Amino acid sequence: MMTFDLTLTGSDLLLVLPEIFLTLWLCTVLSVDFSMRKVEHETLAYLSIGGLLATVFILIWFDQAGIIGSLFKNMYVVDHLSIFFKILILLATAMVIFISIDYVKGFRFFKGEYYFMVMMSGLGMMFMASANDLISVFVTLEFSTFGFYVLVAYLRDDIRSSEAGLKFFILGVFAAGLLAYGISLVYGETGTLIFSQMAGNPGSYGLAIGFLLIFAALGFKIGAVPFHSWIPDTYQGAPTPVTAFLSIAPKAAAIAILIRMFYVGLASFKPMWVLLFVCASIISMTYGNVVAIAQKNIKRLLAYSGIAQIGTIMVGLAAGTKQGSDAILFYLLTYLFANIGAFAVVIAVNNFINSDEIEDYNGLNRRSPFLAAAMFLFLLSLAGVPPLAGFIGKLYLFVAAIEEELYTLLIVGLINIVISMYYYLIVVKKMYINEPVDSTPVTVSLPIKTVVYVCVAGTLLLGIYPKAFIDWAVSATLMFSKIAPPATAAHSSLLGG
Amino acid sequence: MQEELQAGFPILTFLTFFPLLGAMIIWAMKDQDLIKKSALGIAVLELVVSAWLLMGFVPDTAAMQFSERYSWIPQLGISYHMAVDGISILFVGLTAFLTVLLVLYAWDTVKIHPKAFFMSLLALEATIMGIFVSIDLILFFVFWELMLIPSYFMIKLWGLGSQCQYAALKYVLYTLLGSVFMLVGFCLLDLNYYSVKQTYSFDLVDLLSVPVPVGQQILIFWLIFMGFAFKAPVFPFHSWLPDALTQGPIPTSVLLAGIKMGTYGFLRFSFPLLPDASRDQTVVAIVMTLGLIAIVYGAIVAIIQPDFRRLLVFSSISHLGFVVIGLFALNFQGIQGSLLTMINLGFSTAGLFFLAGFVYERLGHTNVHECSGLAKKMPLLATFFLIIGMASIGLPGTNGFVGEFLILLGAFQAYWVYGAIAVTGVIFAAAYFLWFYERAIFGPLKDGLPAALKDLNTREWGIGIALCVMIFWIGLYPSPFLRMMNGSVQEVVDRLNSGSAAVTTPASHVLSQVVQD
Repeated sequence: MMTFDLTLTGSDLLLVLPEIFLTLWLCTVLSVDFSMRKVEHETLAYLSIGGLLATVFILIWFDQAGIIGSLFKNMYVVDHLSIFFKILILLATAMVIFISIDYVKGFRFFKGEYYFMVMMSGLGMMFMASANDLISVFVTLEFSTFGFYVLVAYLRDDIRSSEAGLKFFILGVFAAGLLAYGISLVYGETGTLIFSQMAGNPGSYGLAIGFLLIFAALGFKIGAVPFHSWIPDTYQGAPTPVTAFLSIAPKAAAIAILIRMFYVGLASFKPMWVLLFVCASIISMTYGNVVAIAQKNIKRLLAYSGIAQIGTIMVGLAAGTKQGSDAILFYLLTYLFANIGAFAVVIAVNNFINSDEIEDYNGLNRRSPFLAAAMFLFLLSLAGVPPLAGFIGKLYLFVAAIEEELYTLLIVGLINIVISMYYYLIVVKKMYINEPVDSTPVTVSLPIKTVVYVCVAGTLLLGIYPKAFIDWAVSATLMFSKIAPPATAAHSSLLGG
Repeated sequence: MQEELQAGFPILTFLTFFPLLGAMIIWAMKDQDLIKKSALGIAVLELVVSAWLLMGFVPDTAAMQFSERYSWIPQLGISYHMAVDGISILFVGLTAFLTVLLVLYAWDTVKIHPKAFFMSLLALEATIMGIFVSIDLILFFVFWELMLIPSYFMIKLWGLGSQCQYAALKYVLYTLLGSVFMLVGFCLLDLNYYSVKQTYSFDLVDLLSVPVPVGQQILIFWLIFMGFAFKAPVFPFHSWLPDALTQGPIPTSVLLAGIKMGTYGFLRFSFPLLPDASRDQTVVAIVMTLGLIAIVYGAIVAIIQPDFRRLLVFSSISHLGFVVIGLFALNFQGIQGSLLTMINLGFSTAGLFFLAGFVYERLGHTNVHECSGLAKKMPLLATFFLIIGMASIGLPGTNGFVGEFLILLGAFQAYWVYGAIAVTGVIFAAAYFLWFYERAIFGPLKDGLPAALKDLNTREWGIGIALCVMIFWIGLYPSPFLRMMNGSVQEVVDRLNSGSAAVTTPASHVLSQVVQD
């Protein structure tokens, strides 16, 4: 039996300082919005961004000063891994608020609440990065998804947005059900909910089914095939900044949970889950890339490309080594800049011509050389062309896979790079070669321009000088250097070891 | 690769990034005339610096020269290591030389977006330079892939054919398909190094110090082979080449057909790193067979081509077969001949593409049936056609002869059947070129030709002269060029003979040298 002990000391409270700070901050933002009607929504946006960046600085201080530990009997941990993911999520949240500013102008109601909801989802995902047992996984996951249910359906007058919201909600609740059921099975079999205490348990069918259910629920979050069906419609219907947010932050947070759960909780069953991730990775990459070819809408194209990117990230999970987790962390950084950048360009174009069709990107180079060049760079980074960030990320992942001798996965992954290049180049062709229908120059507002510049800088910097960032990723996963034995050495089996 | 000589000035970095910098400078310019002049200035300065590099190069040694080495991504063992040796030095000069000629060629032939064109051309030069001076495998790969971007845009935006969109995409995807496999091969080498030294390295010099198990060598060899074979292209991976070269503009044809990056890769990486796989009987038999098929198939298909540029494409596939035969003869003469032929093709095949471009500008096509009697209107063009064509066939006195002779010598030494089949390629080459020459240049003047058909202007004339000078220089006095390559070729041959297990002794020597530096 577990007993819960909720007495907290000062040093315990210090560990959750970033979250407490952000909670207070977002309450302030909401209060300002309610009490001072004269305050423009832009001010609220910059206020939110200020809070997020301040939280990032607190986290950097934690990382440098080594303020780490665990709370509530190891249910909630603050370690370098969680700090890495929290910073990643906060950066994504801040950039999303930046690119939302113009978009929010189009809303008639609830402009201030929008920023509140975005920040609250970000806060939920910060908790996800620290979840170290199945109950915290459930609670934090639902907390973060709650904000998204509202955000996806934020365009009340747009039938697509409402439809997207409903789809996302129904499937989200279904996934939550799977998660709860899986957790109950795992608890019944092992008698514990904390990952580190599960290691060493004998395998059983109940445990296997339980973890498969949990995997399915998290697969829903990251959009891995076959749990991806909500992705294209939701991405297309949701407000584009929310789509950008959905495409990176929840995925990163769920990856953090997956890494903890499989690397720590299921370390002794590694050969089994390696197979699981190899299959999921192959299917996701191939399905995402092949279906992306036929897309006519840029948001749908990015949705399918995102499914494929998740497949690529799972290559690292399939490797199941320290190197694999380093590679995932680094890849998520590269994906953050390339993907948010691409969505920022989509928003800039949408704000001007009010369309997301790829046809309308014809001749973008004439209308805005800046946006076209930035998009070109982001797409090449997503495809993995050197020396951009995506190349180093993919190289790192594939080195990890080669080391584990996952040759089938590797070959499929490499062929997928070629397929993805095809549809990215089609967009490039439309931007650079085709003639524009209407050649009025596209104007870009300052906040979006800032985000695009930041993402371009990030994509180039991570590609040309990745050393510091790889160092960061490597130090964030130091705890896995002892765990995760090589695949060949483990003999135990999940089904009756 | 016994030692590394360093220059005080990072000349290779300069050679690689200066054209890129130049492209950026041109970007900021508005005046069309100034753009052309600056592009020419940048290309000429690059050529002067490369010439200075060639003059400073110490011949008859296998040393890596003008070495620059910095750590880049230490976690994966990736370094920024640039150097040249006897294998790569001549390509640096060739690239700079051809770029100058291409700027001259494009002077008033490129009418749409000339600024973007010169930028792409200089960017392409930069990436090709990068390919030849990179010693680190990943750095090499970075330039290898980056090269696709400017050439993709050049084929697409300035392509001569109506199918240039398709050709550009096909070119990129085919090359990419090959190179992803190559990347796996590189990673396997990296991991093999890790298993011996407990640290990662993609550096060629480091990797040479570690033996690779023979079984793994064969796997890595084929993976890397895919990358180089697609790029070269070796038969049967050549199907992108006719599209890219006939649909694309003349400058990309000149660079893609004239600079043999694929076969350079075999000599630079496959042979020294994987000597046991490279001399494995099955491997040699397969690659030799592919080379012989390419020679005969390319030549026969070239004979029946009605379009001169298509003829050149297949002639280039046939010539590439020669290069492959020479390389896989695995003896000194064969490899030296191949290396020299790779350089020669940069003057002869590329030269013929220039001439095809001159014809295309005047007639709007290069169809043999639609033109005859060009000699009557354009005697200068006819003269250059003859000289460069003879070099391409390999007539004694021209550069083509020296290279092909050495290749055939090497092939006969290796196994007489290879040599005997390869020789037929020479005969076919004479057949397709002379038949073309007879139909297009001689004969009665075709009626449909434009009345005001001008002969070559000064710029075109200059391009022709420059090419002819190089053709006769190498043809009549090849020894400076051969001396530059001798040391490195001998080193490769020694490694091929001794296998990779015997390499550990000089390796420690190399490492101590580096430490001393």
